[in-house]
Amino acid sequence: MPKHDTPLLDELEKGPWPSFVTDIKRQAATKPECWDILGQLELSYRDKITHWKHGGIVGVFGYGGGIVGRYSDVPTKFPGVAHFHTVRLNQPSGMYYSTAKLRAICDLWQKYGSGMTNMHGSTGDLVLLGTTTPNLEPLFYELTHNLNQDLGGSGSNLRTPSCCLGKSRCEWACIDTQAVCYAMTMKYQDEIHRPAFPYKFKFKFSGCPNDCVASIARSDLSVIGTWRDNIRIDQAAVKKYLSGEYKSNAGAHSGRDWGKFDIKKEVVNLCPTKCMHMEGDTLKIDDAECTRCMHCINVMPRALRPGAEQGATILVGAKAPILDGAQFATMIIPFMKVDAENEFEDLVNLIEGIWDWWMENGKNRERVGESIQRVGLPTFLKVLNVEPIPQHIREPRSNPYVFWESEEVEGGWDRDVREFRKRHAQ
Amino acid sequence: MAMSKEELKAAILKKAQTAAKPQLYVKDFYECDPDSKPRDVKNAANDLVKEGKMDFWSSGSTTMYAAKGRAKDEEHRG
Repeated sequence: MPKHDTPLLDELEKGPWPSFVTDIKRQAATKPECWDILGQLELSYRDKITHWKHGGIVGVFGYGGGIVGRYSDVPTKFPGVAHFHTVRLNQPSGMYYSTAKLRAICDLWQKYGSGMTNMHGSTGDLVLLGTTTPNLEPLFYELTHNLNQDLGGSGSNLRTPSCCLGKSRCEWACIDTQAVCYAMTMKYQDEIHRPAFPYKFKFKFSGCPNDCVASIARSDLSVIGTWRDNIRIDQAAVKKYLSGEYKSNAGAHSGRDWGKFDIKKEVVNLCPTKCMHMEGDTLKIDDAECTRCMHCINVMPRALRPGAEQGATILVGAKAPILDGAQFATMIIPFMKVDAENEFEDLVNLIEGIWDWWMENGKNRERVGESIQRVGLPTFLKVLNVEPIPQHIREPRSNPYVFWESEEVEGGWDRDVREFRKRHAQ
Repeated sequence: MAMSKEELKAAILKKAQTAAKPQLYVKDFYECDPDSKPRDVKNAANDLVKEGKMDFWSSGSTTMYAAKGRAKDEEHRG
């Protein structure tokens, strides 16, 4: 029996698509506080303003992340959501769960929370929505002691690392994303649970340049699998695509008649660097010009594969638009071996070099990408002892990106900037 | 020379108790001892939380530190 009238929300149940309103009503049958979620949301729709407040000292003992305090600003009207804290759980690498584990988490959340979840949050966590302050410690105890399940990150912490399915299911994975994600999660437990940074910091690991976790757009440190030799070509399979025996895109677009496969139109002419051509029915690739866009491999997966010498490209500084605008990550290391054999030593050294600099030089609430923008990429590269290379520059042929310091040139020079500015106004 | 951990903790706690703002970023404590590394300052502040002398205050996206009793939950704000 509905506790509040929700005419505006009820409109959202009328379309042919699944409705979160219907879901919450169903959940309210066992968790009456869910009626108050709907009541408060209806009020927000009417008032055109949120009635949630978030933040505070709420959390579990010893952890500076994983719980986000949330409160209603109209608790007397909606007492069921007076406290409605969010709990973030560290998802397994690649988001593989057993059904038994999912049932156990849901049972626990039914016991201590609203029963509502968000699978998964944009950082990757399994998000449990809505509990009260007194329930937090008992929930945490059962999660850690009975389910061997830890909290994820929030606040100015290392956020829960996330990765694609990697080598567990994907033939294109050039690095074992699950292994590196797990290793970094375990190595940096302190950074995940105890705030150390000027602001949030995210790792994401993608096995190939398709970048299925969108690490290039969403993570401060983006690790994307790649190769540095040549795309492996099976010319016999190319011919089978040409003859129509193999379906392009593994048959993904076969629900409609697109006509006969046209390799020139659908692959060669779409190559962003024009590094491919056909010689008769033989496909030729000038690999030195390939930018790893993956289009040809996606279209003809049985004929083309990533090269055999595999590793990762490391990019730094993506973020969503909170202070400035949204920003993609900048490529810093074009190729790095990412090996469990040496405990990912090169990657660890890079990460810790970035953190040491950012912890000291980043401003409060400044993502590392914003810090880099503020000081300039050359300064950042110098901090990391990375030599500038043409790949760091969008237009290396027209951008004079090589700068010399006076001590790097025999004899050096003296320069008075004020004198210079008198003659060259800025 | 950097302070000992106990000296650093005392300096951090004093700043947290006397600063005009009830909540401070971890960077605000760096000035307690410019010779200490940022990581050591963070570890000392976290020890104070474990000892119950300071609290974490988090908005969800940012986390700050506050002397026990100075920071308030959003529940108690208007």
